[in-house]
Amino acid sequence: MQTTIALVGNQNSGKTTLFNQLTGNHQYVGNWPGVTIDRKEGTLRGNKEVRFVDLPGIYSLSPYSSEEVIARTYLSEGNPDVIIDIVDATNLERNLYLTNQLMEFGVPVVVALNMMDVVEKRKIQIDSDALSKKLGVPVVEISALKGTNKEEVVDVAVKAAADKQLPEPTRFSPQLEKYLDRISALLPDDCPDSLRRYYTIKLFENDQKAAAELSSVPDVSSIVAEATQEFDDIPESIITDERYQNITGYISDIQKKDTKSISTSAKIDKVLTNRILALPIFIVIIGLIYFIAVSTVGGFVTDWANDGLFGDGWHITGGAAYEEACEDYDRADAIVGAAEDGESTVDIENEDGDVEETVTITPAVLAEAQETLDQYLPDADDAEAVAEYDRADAITAGVEEGEESIVFDGELIDLTDEETITDAEDVLASYEPDPADFGIWVPGIPVLVEQFLDWIHCAGWLESLIIDGIIAGVGAVLGFVPQILILFFLLAILEGCGYMARVAFILDRIFRRFGLSGKSFIPYIIGTGCGVPGILATRTIESESSRRLTVMTTTMMPCSAKVPLIALFAGAIFGGAWWVAPFAYFLGIAVILCAGVILKKTRPFLGKTAPFVMELPDYRLPRLVDLLRSMWQRAWAFIKKAGTIIAGAAILIWFLSTYGWEDGVWCAVDNMDNSMLGIFGSAIAWFFYPLGWADWQAAAASISGLIAKENIVATFGILYGAGEVAENGHEVWLNLAASYGTLAGLSLMVFNLLCIPCFAAMGCIRREMNSAKWFWATIGFQILTAYVVSLWIYQLGMWFTTGAFGVWTAVAIAAAIVFLILLFRPYPKRLEQGALEVAASEA
Amino acid sequence: MTLTDVQVGDSCTVKRLNETGALRRRIMDMGITKGTDITVRKVAPLGDPVEISARGYDLTLRKADATLIEVA
Repeated sequence: MQTTIALVGNQNSGKTTLFNQLTGNHQYVGNWPGVTIDRKEGTLRGNKEVRFVDLPGIYSLSPYSSEEVIARTYLSEGNPDVIIDIVDATNLERNLYLTNQLMEFGVPVVVALNMMDVVEKRKIQIDSDALSKKLGVPVVEISALKGTNKEEVVDVAVKAAADKQLPEPTRFSPQLEKYLDRISALLPDDCPDSLRRYYTIKLFENDQKAAAELSSVPDVSSIVAEATQEFDDIPESIITDERYQNITGYISDIQKKDTKSISTSAKIDKVLTNRILALPIFIVIIGLIYFIAVSTVGGFVTDWANDGLFGDGWHITGGAAYEEACEDYDRADAIVGAAEDGESTVDIENEDGDVEETVTITPAVLAEAQETLDQYLPDADDAEAVAEYDRADAITAGVEEGEESIVFDGELIDLTDEETITDAEDVLASYEPDPADFGIWVPGIPVLVEQFLDWIHCAGWLESLIIDGIIAGVGAVLGFVPQILILFFLLAILEGCGYMARVAFILDRIFRRFGLSGKSFIPYIIGTGCGVPGILATRTIESESSRRLTVMTTTMMPCSAKVPLIALFAGAIFGGAWWVAPFAYFLGIAVILCAGVILKKTRPFLGKTAPFVMELPDYRLPRLVDLLRSMWQRAWAFIKKAGTIIAGAAILIWFLSTYGWEDGVWCAVDNMDNSMLGIFGSAIAWFFYPLGWADWQAAAASISGLIAKENIVATFGILYGAGEVAENGHEVWLNLAASYGTLAGLSLMVFNLLCIPCFAAMGCIRREMNSAKWFWATIGFQILTAYVVSLWIYQLGMWFTTGAFGVWTAVAIAAAIVFLILLFRPYPKRLEQGALEVAASEA
Repeated sequence: MTLTDVQVGDSCTVKRLNETGALRRRIMDMGITKGTDITVRKVAPLGDPVEISARGYDLTLRKADATLIEVA
């Protein structure tokens, strides 16, 4: 016979730890602490007949929070055979309050008294036999962390389920019971006996959600009114009071506590939430996380993943020698090239395009440079190779000079044919330093896949789809996995040890003003690395409206993929001005704060301010296995998404940018202008006219950024005819600067920073919002925000600098006025009053 | 007197909750009911919220919510 065991308990009672201990790796639905989306299910390790359902961590079974509603709906409708109530023995009184309610569901209950090891350490004495007698249910002392007695608690639960020993619900004071008896008599006949007590109490509490489950709802208002008068309190509070009084009545017989000793947690909190030290310590911790996950370790592994694993490949040894050889080669190439052009000096640029040294060309210098190049050039005796090299060299030279055709060695070569140029470039590249010659070189996935596809003679279009579409798109996203793993690991530490709750305590004051939670800070900081883990990190925010607001705005912080974009515009339009990067971040912060102020006054966010009454759990040393599990579950959700949504989107964009009509014929296009993406870009370009950049290239680049924001730079590179573009994009600077003035350039940059994020982040928003309505609201909100801010920059900027005043200037001013009104209007009072009722009825 | 009038380090007893609906239920579910002894532990660095202990554990609530708790 199969036994279904519901695991119920307070947040932080060790429920998830016990669940993982019991089920091993058999769980199949991922969930995160304090998150309501799914309940977790799994079977007992070694016995599939015992099934566990892990419900959200809850303090009560009120109708107000979604977690609590999920739990009680499952308990009354899901027909579990038995409930294991995990009780944190270090916090007995409040945990027993939930136990008290669980005994009303007509399901056998077994109390698992968890954290008995901590209890012993704190010299608290708990008489579990007395507790068992008092409650009338079996009580098993366990330590979920150490796995103590975990088999026993399951055995007891299975036995309780088989025996169907139903707990006797707590009797309240006679004064209250006389009203409850009257209500019980009115319940419809088809209400099962085991649930009569539950529905009686719910009717008394005027809990309409529970009442709606009955076949007919009796009118008990006059009975409740009488009770309200007698107790001089509202019905819900009467019940809560009675429950706690019941517990207070016996707790001192069961638990002996030395109240004078200060717990370790209190000592730690003396420092961590200290009035003066708390904020500096917080900043240091966040700085450390950022430093490890985003800039050093995370940055290093992300570079490896992007340039190595999903790039050309990487060196295990010999990397430095290869770089040196490349530098020498480039230097020699520049010197020889300059000498051929008749120059007497040459500027040697480093990777960032800065002039590193100026070399005066003397015969000795030239000879040395030629010697360096000769190491790589074809052997002078191999006439065929030399001829091939010279031909390729002539072709690329012709292309650089903008020739349409050249004559080389009596042969007319058409330079408008892409294939000729690509072949020539390949030939030249084969005479440059080859990374495989230096140390141990591991080729990247795209290289290996390309070789494999060539080997099986894969069709050209399919190869393009796989390499340029799927691997490029998914790889760009999967490249962030190592960084995400590190981030999630560090976050799991903060969550696991109990510091996250303190973060909310420290920062609540600031963030509340903007409709956000103290914990919103974490997603924003992580969002500067990557928006996806940032959005996932919002899961620690309890308040649903704060969480939604945070999800909506997290991607407005420039993520690491937007950095190349910022660098490109800073270099091209603003002459490398230092202020562009800080401006991008401050703009992000300003937009988030203004959005918070405006949105929290709008109807969907009003009245849902969850009460900020939060437990500050004791600090605990998290177990490594739990940290790794938490890290992996979150990262896996991300990887799965990359494999599905993102792969699909990448294929779509690849298809749109590769195919189109050339000379009226449907084909794979040579010129991206003719691709469907180009056509689509032209079609929507008018939309951006008021922002100052109505060309299709900018529109197309913005669209390509939806796969990954760093694509914008690459697309600009392709569209502005520079072929391959270095990450800093020097090649396109001049073209870009020529196409956009300062204001249009700034407007274009800002639009791409604030507008909808990449598909990965959008998929994440969709999942976290768990509602199509909220997802589209977020997308619309982000587009509108980006559009309006860019409109201001361009139109108001033009007005101030040139005095040009047009229709769109007026629109920009109107938008600014609306914005200021929304920003400074008072908090709507009428709604504020009804707020809690709204929350109650909508929850 | 409400909970906000209690000095850090001092203790008090809950007399009454002046609130209805979700917030009141939440406060009571956390164990702040009539007759509960509360000790005010500390105030957050920015002056709000406050940390209190009741029924043997620590919890935090905003001052605005603390004013709804009448104590003696």
